[in-house]
Amino acid sequence: MKQHLGRQSGVQNVEVSLIDGKVEITPKEDGQIDPIQLLKATFDSGVTAAEMDMTARGKIVKDSSGNLALQVAPNRSFALVANELSKGLDSLVGSQTIITVRGQLYKKPPGKKQKVDASTSLKLLILEVEKKE
Amino acid sequence: MNKRVALLLLLGFVVAPMSQAQVKDIEMRVEGMT
Repeated sequence: MKQHLGRQSGVQNVEVSLIDGKVEITPKEDGQIDPIQLLKATFDSGVTAAEMDMTARGKIVKDSSGNLALQVAPNRSFALVANELSKGLDSLVGSQTIITVRGQLYKKPPGKKQKVDASTSLKLLILEVEKKE
Repeated sequence: MNKRVALLLLLGFVVAPMSQAQVKDIEMRVEGMT
């Protein structure tokens, strides 16, 4: 799995902890990393991803549906799951403020085996706003 | 000339913050790993 994930675009380093089942992925700075591809690669290598968390820096924007999103690259943004923390970011839409957030991108539904493919859309549930610049 | 400099500065202010935007870290919890 480590090699499989390491071959995905935008991945700089992969650390796997067999003891607690944690996989730490360090992205390259080229902005090419694609969390859906990482989940797909994980399933393809025969293991089940139970949860995926992400720390990212970006701007708060509104997507084509009018929902809040975190833009981490000119062509990549993650729609935000509405919660108390995301509501507090509404005022940053259109500003140049860069925020650093930690959030959950994926959680396996309980008791189900779910296949992730290219049509899967990931929404970011913000767990913590670490920094506003 | 001054207009060009001003335009470059303005572009810098717009582009620079986005260049700092990035995914910094991804952590997964997996099941079924041997």
